Amino acid sequence: MNTRRLKDVLSSRLMLAATVFAFLLLFFMAAGLFFRASPILITVPISDLLFSIEWSPFSGKFGFYPFIMGTLWVTVLATVIAIPVSLLSSIYLSEYASNGLREMVMPLVDLLAGIPSVVYGLFGVLAVVPFINDTLAPAMGAETIGGYSILAGGIVLSIMVFPIIISVTGEVMRRVSGELREVSLSLGATKWQTIKHVVLRKARPGIIAAIVLGFSRAFGETMAVLMVVGNVAKVPSSIFDPAYPLPALIANTYGEMMSIDLYDSAILLAALILLLVVLICNVIARIILVRIERGII
Amino acid sequence: MTETQISIQNLNVTYNGNHALKNISVEIPKKQITAIIGPSGCGKSTMLKCMNRLIDMTDNVTFSGKIIIDNEDVFDKKTDIINIRKKLGLLAQKPTPLPMSIYENVAFGPRIHGVKKKLVLDETVQKCLAITGLWEEVKDRLNSPASQLSIGQQQRLCLARGLAVEPEIILCDEPTSALDPVSSQHIEQQLLKLRKDYTIVIVTHNIHQAMRLADYVIHLYLGELVEHGPANDVFENPKEERTRAYINGTMFSDLKIDKEVDLKGNICPYNFVLAKQALHELSKGKVLKLVVDDPLAVTEVPRGMEADGHKVMSVKQINKTDWEVVIQKKE
Ligand SMILES: Nc1ncnc2c1ncn2[C@@H]1O[C@H](COP(=O)(O)OP(=O)(O)O)[C@@H](O)[C@H]1O
Ligand SMILES: [Mg+2]
Repeated sequence: MNTRRLKDVLSSRLMLAATVFAFLLLFFMAAGLFFRASPILITVPISDLLFSIEWSPFSGKFGFYPFIMGTLWVTVLATVIAIPVSLLSSIYLSEYASNGLREMVMPLVDLLAGIPSVVYGLFGVLAVVPFINDTLAPAMGAETIGGYSILAGGIVLSIMVFPIIISVTGEVMRRVSGELREVSLSLGATKWQTIKHVVLRKARPGIIAAIVLGFSRAFGETMAVLMVVGNVAKVPSSIFDPAYPLPALIANTYGEMMSIDLYDSAILLAALILLLVVLICNVIARIILVRIERGII
Repeated sequence: MTETQISIQNLNVTYNGNHALKNISVEIPKKQITAIIGPSGCGKSTMLKCMNRLIDMTDNVTFSGKIIIDNEDVFDKKTDIINIRKKLGLLAQKPTPLPMSIYENVAFGPRIHGVKKKLVLDETVQKCLAITGLWEEVKDRLNSPASQLSIGQQQRLCLARGLAVEPEIILCDEPTSALDPVSSQHIEQQLLKLRKDYTIVIVTHNIHQAMRLADYVIHLYLGELVEHGPANDVFENPKEERTRAYINGTMFSDLKIDKEVDLKGNICPYNFVLAKQALHELSKGKVLKLVVDDPLAVTEVPRGMEADGHKVMSVKQINKTDWEVVIQKKE
């Protein structure tokens, strides 16, 4: 009896400790990054850091604007490509497909989420980049640097975002009650009208959460983007331009030019920005999803 | 004789091997209120779902027979279901506003049927809300979400929403069971008012509601049609013993008991386990009578049985120490 109680106490303490540890880790990561980034925050005004386009570490100019814009362009493009494709497929899967088909396809979708991002990057280099270089850019009359472009990054990223949006959206759509569908059908609505006006409307907060989750995945993704996006530190003006997103900057240069004053601090600031944006997006999305689960929305 | 609005012929419905409606044939009169009565699980909702073909939404269901509305067979493949559903409004058990504003809820039906003119929509919304007595209460907040209304108001909104597509028939599935007494009364009054223009079919397991509203009564029991006829005849002079018993609320004590188990002398967790075992040996729909003398069991056994999905039909004290619990096996 006593050992049983002891085990009970121990295991619950242990789980609590593990949870606290995970939270502390996140906290220390953020605090550490902030601490290491503080030298540059003190010396360079924050508005210069965020909005100056000049990136010349040797002369102490750390304008992140090109990198921030590069990140936004690639992320937004990926999200814009991913939204229609993944919404349509999750509507099909959750509303039209037979149970058998759905049970077969959903694990495959989840599998897609588990493929290492370097593999997506290779796919991008071997298929997407040449396609843009040989076919798409000439057809559109655009110039690219060998096909390495925001468009290539956006396409590759959007494929990486599909599984998240498809599975979360499907989940919230299947949560819409049968009674609500029956109401719409009983008024004489067709199945598509019911989906469009009632199911999607009811599932809207959840779909937004799914998109935010997808967006934050795309925002922080490094490897696949780095391989196809060209990595040129210039503010892009078209999707055929190359870009240099923040994660790529960190991965490419951290540890290399550390002798330069404040360089280390600047790169860690970039990491902090990434961490915060992804964290905030995730928290927002999770809050929405939890509220849906509890039936508040 | 009154005209027939809905003619049901040899209707059979089977869910996954569970024969929920057994060869039902009955005619529902036009512009009257027809009440379908019977204990829960007897197939009342299933019957409504056949009429507007919402039964199509259920997996693993088979149905046969005919339901004729205006010379059209609802089950016929050539029949336009949209048209049928437009003709049959539905008022569900749980008030279910669509996730949009009050105005949009009422305008939803006309909109999906192609009405675009704002003026026409405005007029329909006002008219339908007025019929259900909601206009005065909500006219200043038509654009606020329908979910902000009280439950009773929501149900009246649902009624107004159904009326907006100009149905001929209104199907109501226990429309007041989720409402407080005042709201229930409201809905009942409105149904009585609507009766001169619409054919109304109301499912209820509240016998008093049926008596207040119905012109015609259909009594179902375990998927069988027990009796049907004009309300006066059925309520005052039922032909069938089972109907009489149901109306007198004595149905359960007159029930044929399929098995009796004496659990006197057992204490609490055990008499529950024994009761479960006894029930396990019975087939679905059979009735078990337990006799218990543990005061705790009097509340706990019925509660546990309901939690398991069975139906507790009666609990009564039969002498100083003993209680009788009658349970009908469900799943
Ligand atoms: N979707 C379903 N799947 C399987 N069985 C069902 C379904 N709906 C109803 N049933 C069964 O059919 C019978 C009649 O149900 P229902 O028409 O809902 O009864 P009522 O409305 O009179 O309470 C019950 O035994 C019930 O368990
Ligand atoms: Mg029912």
